[in-house]
Amino acid sequence: MRLKLSQIVLRSILFNRKDAIYQIIIIILLTAVITGSLLTGHSVRGSLRETSAGKIGNTDVIISSGERYFNADLAGKVSSITGEKAISILETEGYCSNFLSGVTALNVKIYGITNDFFSFHSVDSVEINPGEVTVNTSLAEHLGIDEGDEIIIRFKPSDPLPANAPFAPSENNQISKVMEVSRILTADNAGNFSPGISQIIPMTLFLHISDFNDNEYQHSYSNIMEYKDISEYDVNYANVDEYGTYLANRILIDRTEDIPLMKVLEEVLTTSDIGLDIRRSEKTGEPELISDRIFIDSLLVSDIIKKIPSGSPVITYMVNSFSLGDKTTPYSFASALPSSLFPMIDTNGIIINRWLADDLHAKTGDTLLLSWYDSGYGNLLEEKKREFYVIDILDNDSRYSDPLLMPDFPGISGRTTCSGWDAGVPIILDMIREKDEEYWNSYRGTPKAFISYETGRLIWSNNFGSATAIRFPPSLSIFDISSKLDGSINPLIAGFRIIDIRNSSEQAADESVNFSSLFLSLGFFIILSCLILFSLSISLLFDSRKDYVRILYSLGFKNSLVKRLLCIETASFSLLGAIPGAILGYFVNILVIKALNSVWRGAVQTDALSMQFSLTPVLYGFLITVFLSACIIYVKTNSYIKKLHRTGKAELKKQSKTKNFIWIVITIILSITSVILSRTLQDFTIQLSFIGGLLFFAAMVLILRHYYISDFSKSPRAWNTRQKLSKQFYLFHPAQAIAPVIFIAAGIFAVIITGANRQVLSDKMFLPSGGTGAYQLWAESALPVKEDLNSRTGRKKFGLDEQNLSDLVFVQCPRLSGDDASCLNLNYITTPPILGVDNNAFIRKGSFSFASRIKLDKVINPWSLLNEDPGENIIYGIADQTVLQWGLKVTAGDTLVFRTENGQSLNIVICAGLKSSVFQGYLLIGKEKFEEYFPSVSGNSVFLIDGKPQMSEFYINTLNERLTEYGFSSLEAGKKLASFFVVTNTYLNVFVVFGAFGMVLGVVGLGFVLILNYNRRKREFALLSAVGFTQRIIRKLIINDQIIILLWGVLTGTSSGFIATLPSLISGNAMPWKNIYIMIFSIIIIGTLALWISVRSLNTHTLISQLRRE
Amino acid sequence: MLILENISKSYAGRGKVLDELNLHIEKGESLAVTGPSGSGKSTLLNIAGLMDRPDSGKIKFQGNSILGYDSSEAAEYRNRNIGFVFQDHLLLNHLTVKENIMLPLLASPLSDDDYGIKEKYVDILLDKIRITNLKDKFPFQISGGEAQRVTLVRALVNRPSLLLADEPTGSLDQKNANLLGRLLREINEEYGIALLVVTHSEDLASMMRNHLRLSEGKLV
Repeated sequence: MRLKLSQIVLRSILFNRKDAIYQIIIIILLTAVITGSLLTGHSVRGSLRETSAGKIGNTDVIISSGERYFNADLAGKVSSITGEKAISILETEGYCSNFLSGVTALNVKIYGITNDFFSFHSVDSVEINPGEVTVNTSLAEHLGIDEGDEIIIRFKPSDPLPANAPFAPSENNQISKVMEVSRILTADNAGNFSPGISQIIPMTLFLHISDFNDNEYQHSYSNIMEYKDISEYDVNYANVDEYGTYLANRILIDRTEDIPLMKVLEEVLTTSDIGLDIRRSEKTGEPELISDRIFIDSLLVSDIIKKIPSGSPVITYMVNSFSLGDKTTPYSFASALPSSLFPMIDTNGIIINRWLADDLHAKTGDTLLLSWYDSGYGNLLEEKKREFYVIDILDNDSRYSDPLLMPDFPGISGRTTCSGWDAGVPIILDMIREKDEEYWNSYRGTPKAFISYETGRLIWSNNFGSATAIRFPPSLSIFDISSKLDGSINPLIAGFRIIDIRNSSEQAADESVNFSSLFLSLGFFIILSCLILFSLSISLLFDSRKDYVRILYSLGFKNSLVKRLLCIETASFSLLGAIPGAILGYFVNILVIKALNSVWRGAVQTDALSMQFSLTPVLYGFLITVFLSACIIYVKTNSYIKKLHRTGKAELKKQSKTKNFIWIVITIILSITSVILSRTLQDFTIQLSFIGGLLFFAAMVLILRHYYISDFSKSPRAWNTRQKLSKQFYLFHPAQAIAPVIFIAAGIFAVIITGANRQVLSDKMFLPSGGTGAYQLWAESALPVKEDLNSRTGRKKFGLDEQNLSDLVFVQCPRLSGDDASCLNLNYITTPPILGVDNNAFIRKGSFSFASRIKLDKVINPWSLLNEDPGENIIYGIADQTVLQWGLKVTAGDTLVFRTENGQSLNIVICAGLKSSVFQGYLLIGKEKFEEYFPSVSGNSVFLIDGKPQMSEFYINTLNERLTEYGFSSLEAGKKLASFFVVTNTYLNVFVVFGAFGMVLGVVGLGFVLILNYNRRKREFALLSAVGFTQRIIRKLIINDQIIILLWGVLTGTSSGFIATLPSLISGNAMPWKNIYIMIFSIIIIGTLALWISVRSLNTHTLISQLRRE
Repeated sequence: MLILENISKSYAGRGKVLDELNLHIEKGESLAVTGPSGSGKSTLLNIAGLMDRPDSGKIKFQGNSILGYDSSEAAEYRNRNIGFVFQDHLLLNHLTVKENIMLPLLASPLSDDDYGIKEKYVDILLDKIRITNLKDKFPFQISGGEAQRVTLVRALVNRPSLLLADEPTGSLDQKNANLLGRLLREINEEYGIALLVVTHSEDLASMMRNHLRLSEGKLV
């Protein structure tokens, strides 16, 4: 049979398999690490997808009205058009406590549902009835409750009127209930339902939707009930069923096909769905459209008027006083009417009724001074004033003396006396006279004065809208109006958004933190060690194949063919190792996932990760390893072949001892200088120490080099020790000793540096420029706090007006819900929570520092940009650099597009990235802008608090107690900042563990180095053997060299590492000492063991015969 | 056939090994080169087989200058024209004797017919060198003398013009050394293959028609 190359290769592989055993073991390990890392990434992403899918259940799409509400029967209408399953739910903020133990859960997702919710999620075994509460396992475990136990629940009611809207009642608008837990829901029972994107299983609580709607729906229509035309009202609400009497803010849709939902929504949306009602004024006969939000959004006003051009917007506002000379009329209503309704009024004119004229003794032409509370930025209730000249005086029962012009302010409408008003603004009761009460009793909120709409809009319109009603000509029926508007209202303007939650969740998981590359990076030292070991093992293998190659050459085999044979053989061994290695990778994945769910939980914030197998990462792991090994094999083969041809040509050169010595002196001097400077130049301490450490590293390596290149043979005592004899080899080959020293030392240096880089709180972080912004406390409330806690009334309300609390200063931030974009969330986030911050407070205090900023023509403090208007619907935003880089994947200058409450696109241009701060996870915009674009977000949920540092604990206890009804939770700002360190520190721990393992693995390579050195020095040892050196002495000579290399490597890495981390060591930062000790100890033990085993494998008996042959 | 003109070669630490050396080998000639250890005998042989390159000088083979050959051309030159026999038999332990012998045929493409012819030729050689019985054995199953004879057959498989033998009897006992020496001469005479043997052995050298000594880098 004809001899073939493949036959030779196969025979060679089989024959030399024992020589390749190291190579195979290394490849198994390398493939296992790479495949394990890739599978870990796959498992994490798979787990995220599973968690997300489990949380959303059968929900594919969510129609959300954000902070606004709609009639719950809207879901039924959508369903009837689309044929898809759709249900309404109500999502709100709140918290709950175990009634008996008092254990509280603050971050609770509270949902108002009906039994449709469970059937929607294909859960037949669960029911919920009014008065019942069910919680999920996560919440039950947190509270320590069982079915039948009682809990206290506090939540925001579904009040269509935002709590911070002008003249919204100031009374605490929370619902508090003690309820018995009827059932604890598992994940299978849709218990973990939550549309938020996060790997963390939420704590959820479900109430029947009717429990959220206690009375508030009725109060919205109290005026209607009083003045409605029943027959017309009935026409408008003909289709309202029992379900429809509730308010909801989300529609969940189980989508089976792609449907243009926004179009469907527009088709089914009626005025009543979004809290708009049409009634007819008995007084004027005009139908009018009003909103349960009191103010009608300006875009909606425009949209409606576009559809019914005869409509006229009206604003009726509460005036603090009308003054003329020394006469004052307090707390009255005035209406701003357009010329279409009241043509007589000009910009500065006012028409008053007789009652007011009499009260003020006013006559036509007089100038009245009006004062009112401006509902502008920050709910500051600044009193504003303006003069108007009296155009005319009307009778008390004139055409527009219409009580319906006064909006249905919940705290005012139903009150029997003026002094009983809860207008959400300070009312000085002493100013209210008996005649004022009489007017209220006779005319209720009938406006006493009228100004032009243009002026009214200028002074009274606000973020919530530019009209309190739209009036239509009497000729139009309510039916005419509703039929023109129903089915044509733009859902976007009405605040609706369509969220493709399933795709978003999947995308968030798919683009989540890449654990594959993360673990490949963390396992860098293991991979590097494997590659070095592999390279050494190839060298060893090739060394043993010298004769084989010589034969091939002598027989006329070309270089390319010889290379090919060597490559195929070694690559075959790699393949043999890569197959079991890829399988072992699955077990590595199991170990890593188990560790992430337990000891490394800090990195993932969940214990719900599961092992997931896929052939793709296994295949990739296999191919990557094969590719890497093929590259090394190719390079090594080429270099081997080249070296073979070079044999005998290389000249041995002695190295310059003097130059080396000069470099030693220079590096030591520079190292000492850097260390000394690091103690004096505080701003550069870390950098200078690091440089000092690096220079010392270099000095140590040079010292070893100096030791080896010093030619002792010239000394008269040159040969008096065996060590000096051995050293002669390195005199010509110092790199042979230095390379392993650098590897060992660099590894230890890197591990120590990494260990010292653990993030800990430092004094700098408490400076204004630090991550706390020099604020003492960070607080969050489960329910928004509307009050200004810096104001006297705010403090008084919460009992914060005590002397020892007088130093407290609050920075209050409203929060728009979103998905946590901090490092604690593994998913890719596109909609982070937005905070409205008081940027001026930060500018004054010089708080926080920036890691990046937008390039502008002039240098501007990025905080100041938050007040600017770079364009229409364009504002500036700031976020932590970590959030920008990893969470949102954007940089300064990029634009994030959000939807405002009324459907406009809001472009937030990132103007800066903050250095690590307490704001991690949030996108910050100016508070003024926040209120402009998200007016319905009522109150503040995030607080930065300043006070006396020594009183932190007192502050925390007091605030948590006094604001307990809001689910207020404060902690030291430093602790908040440190909570983000856990992720980085866990990664660093993983790196240190992997690095240490990699290093230990790497020192095994010293065994290979020893054998290679032995092979290179065979002639020398053969000579020694010939002149009577015993095998034991020769082995000792060989191992001593390598022990010096090992110990010097450890010493170099450790000492330079400690110098580089001197600031951390001095400041007492937590170093992973245990890991470092174990690593150093293991390196020395394993290294020595590897050397000992290697030297035992050397057969020095054959040295003489080899010498004889040569 | 092979002309080496003014060949010089030096090594770091060893100085000049060959110094303006001249050598002419005619077709069918047998030449022994002897000399002390380190005199450059093996270097001379390696240069003749283009396994090493001289520092200066000229090498011509069958009238063509071959010093400018690149590594591929040199390999081809060795494969077609040169047979090597080393002191160590250098057989591949994972291949049988027959496979070791056939190994040079893999260095360059060969048709099945040509391969068949070569195979028959190998059988003749095996018979001639009296090792037919060893052809299916592995190198570690045969003696040193037998292995060296296998090497000789392998060197002849491509019908080279020149056989270069580097201390071919160096690791053999007297009996086997004599046998190999005789075989080399028989091959030389029967097939007209030129033979250049470098050796310490005066016995082996005496079997060759010509005998030169390498001294101070020159042949005398």
